[in-house]
Amino acid sequence: MSYGNGQKMSFLEANARQRANWLVDEGSFTELLGPQDRMTSPHLPALGEAVSFDDGVVTGVGRIGTRPVFVISQEGRFIGGAVGEVHGAKMVGIFRLALDAYKAAAEKHPDDLDAYRPAVVISFETGGVRLHEANAGLLAHAEVMDMIQDTKGKLPVISLIGSKVGCFGGMGFVAAATDAIIMSPLGRLGLTGPEVIEQEMGKEEFDASDKSLVSRTTGGKHKYIMQDCNILVEDTIMGFRRALCDLLAQPYEKVCACRRIGSYQLVKEQMDLVALAVELNPGDAKDVWRYYGNEHPEQLPELETAEFLRVVHRRPKEVR
Amino acid sequence: MESMIGRGRDAISMIVDPDSFAENQVGNVQVPEGYGPGAVVGTASLNGRPVTILANDAQAVNPRFPVVYFGVIGMEEAYKMASAVYESILADRDKPVGEKRPLLLIVDTPGNGPGKVEEIFGMNKATGAYQLALAEARKAGHAVIAMVIGRAISGAFLCHGLQADHILALPKECGTMIHVMPLTSISRITKMDIERLEELSQESPVFAAGVDFFYRLGGVEEIVPAPEGMRDALARHVELVEALKREGHYEQTGPWSRGALGAERGGRTTRPEVLRRMAEEFAAVSSSYLA
Amino acid sequence: MALQHLEFSYEGTPGATIPMEWFHSGVVGSGDMEVLLTRREQQGKVTVKVCTPVRGFDQVWDKVLARFVQESGCGDLELEINDNNATPFIVSLRLKQALQEARGGEPA
Repeated sequence: MSYGNGQKMSFLEANARQRANWLVDEGSFTELLGPQDRMTSPHLPALGEAVSFDDGVVTGVGRIGTRPVFVISQEGRFIGGAVGEVHGAKMVGIFRLALDAYKAAAEKHPDDLDAYRPAVVISFETGGVRLHEANAGLLAHAEVMDMIQDTKGKLPVISLIGSKVGCFGGMGFVAAATDAIIMSPLGRLGLTGPEVIEQEMGKEEFDASDKSLVSRTTGGKHKYIMQDCNILVEDTIMGFRRALCDLLAQPYEKVCACRRIGSYQLVKEQMDLVALAVELNPGDAKDVWRYYGNEHPEQLPELETAEFLRVVHRRPKEVR
Repeated sequence: MESMIGRGRDAISMIVDPDSFAENQVGNVQVPEGYGPGAVVGTASLNGRPVTILANDAQAVNPRFPVVYFGVIGMEEAYKMASAVYESILADRDKPVGEKRPLLLIVDTPGNGPGKVEEIFGMNKATGAYQLALAEARKAGHAVIAMVIGRAISGAFLCHGLQADHILALPKECGTMIHVMPLTSISRITKMDIERLEELSQESPVFAAGVDFFYRLGGVEEIVPAPEGMRDALARHVELVEALKREGHYEQTGPWSRGALGAERGGRTTRPEVLRRMAEEFAAVSSSYLA
Repeated sequence: MALQHLEFSYEGTPGATIPMEWFHSGVVGSGDMEVLLTRREQQGKVTVKVCTPVRGFDQVWDKVLARFVQESGCGDLELEINDNNATPFIVSLRLKQALQEARGGEPA
């Protein structure tokens, strides 16, 4: 498919490699450790599990304008996009390269850094740790968090969430730790997957097969209302790309202002939000939507994205 | 051997100088009594030096968040711990590296809060916030040492433990558990015989549950043979880490250094190959990206 | 239990290879596969390596692959397949798509 036609494609339906290629400027993407490297998992064969030449994640570098953009794009169709040793190391590798590129840009363009400042973009499609190589996957998560802290004050890290699998488990907090989060209404973000909540709380309290309940609790619209998603876009590659380009065109400080955690001040804000959780004790996300001024919360899930954005009331930044 | 599971508070007394622990007091801040009861934070001395303590209390139940019991880290707990970390950074911000108070993590936790309210308000932020705070403290020059005394399970270990400079653990004989999932569950999900999995885990430590496997992967720096040894081992690792940081060798501490350790101990040998080849491939094209 | 590695070789059409050095296509989803095509000067031969969790279907693979080589008229190629329980129908479809994409056409 051509780049132009690719832009119109559903982000949800596209595969990881298409997303990576089409999010950056046309023809600018170079895959690093791509399929031709045949770097498959050394651990899956013994368990009789199919391998993939990219281990379920497309990593590489492209350009948006003058800026190098380092891309991590997870493939949910391969073992649910779960993170094993190779997959995790590829994520870490991208951060290392981006940090080196930042150093180079800061030296070369001290007066014009905003135009040349590298960015890291992660398209999440994962449930977190890959059980077949769980321990290595877990340790890789810690490395990625460490890398994200290293980027603070240097370069923006932006999350894109709009895929089938969503972004759960350990990758749920990795996404939370990035600077800005772009989602489509079909995107899902959380820590504990719906099935595990059901197991923990009982089906009466949380029915994981109830798709609208899962969407209300973890979906893009809910996260947008809570300010846990900064930008909500239509489910097209173009939708995500435009939001990404617009965001990167902002001064770096503006991107940093999208953060929800990562400083004492923000932690205090979140603690106020937890206090509100206690006060409201919501049985459903709709109760919180109503609290924030949405008089007919039951209508929000049905609305088209543009209409939703026009009418919705979000959590004010200063919690109460 | 003596098990420390569920005994986070006992572990604090065994580690710090006698009667030196001031709970809820960190820097200039007094944490309200009863807030985030599953987490214990405060200041104590270790050989006369102030240290920040961050521990789990497996006996406590959070009356506001029913999923928090048995050492689970809920939203209040994670933010309480994050605050204690930021207060520690603030309190010592003018001190040179080597004199900043160490942070000791006493780890005995089975999970992060898995509930509906937690997901509505974003449990992922709470656990992420605590990890970022720890990473910031580590990079600011504080020595951050974790001591696994009981359970260090999956995401909860990531939250409370894996961001440390060094991780120590009591041996499996003490009942210590480090894993993502027990082998029985992995067997159910992957549909493989448990016997076969056990056999495979002897050759490859990447999926099996247990302290020894994490040691081989570089996920644990040192196994402390018995609870009596915790105090000295922690003091020793504080010194080790501070010495490295004074010399500017930050890459020899924290999650990144455990990657190198995993390769050295033969548990994670593909990781360095991945990093090397990516760097090589980027170097070949970098001139067209780094204008 | 471990993954199976199968190898096949066919007499293809000399010179009927792909324009680039290598081409990749597909995703190893459940019931699906990926293929890496590599240009190889080997007197028209098409060599195939299959990595699959499924046992006991060597002959089915052989038939599907032989037919693909014959019908597509390709040659001087190496195919490396990572399979995850794809049906013979999916295998032929993916191979056809991959070759077509590699030669610059839109997939069928």
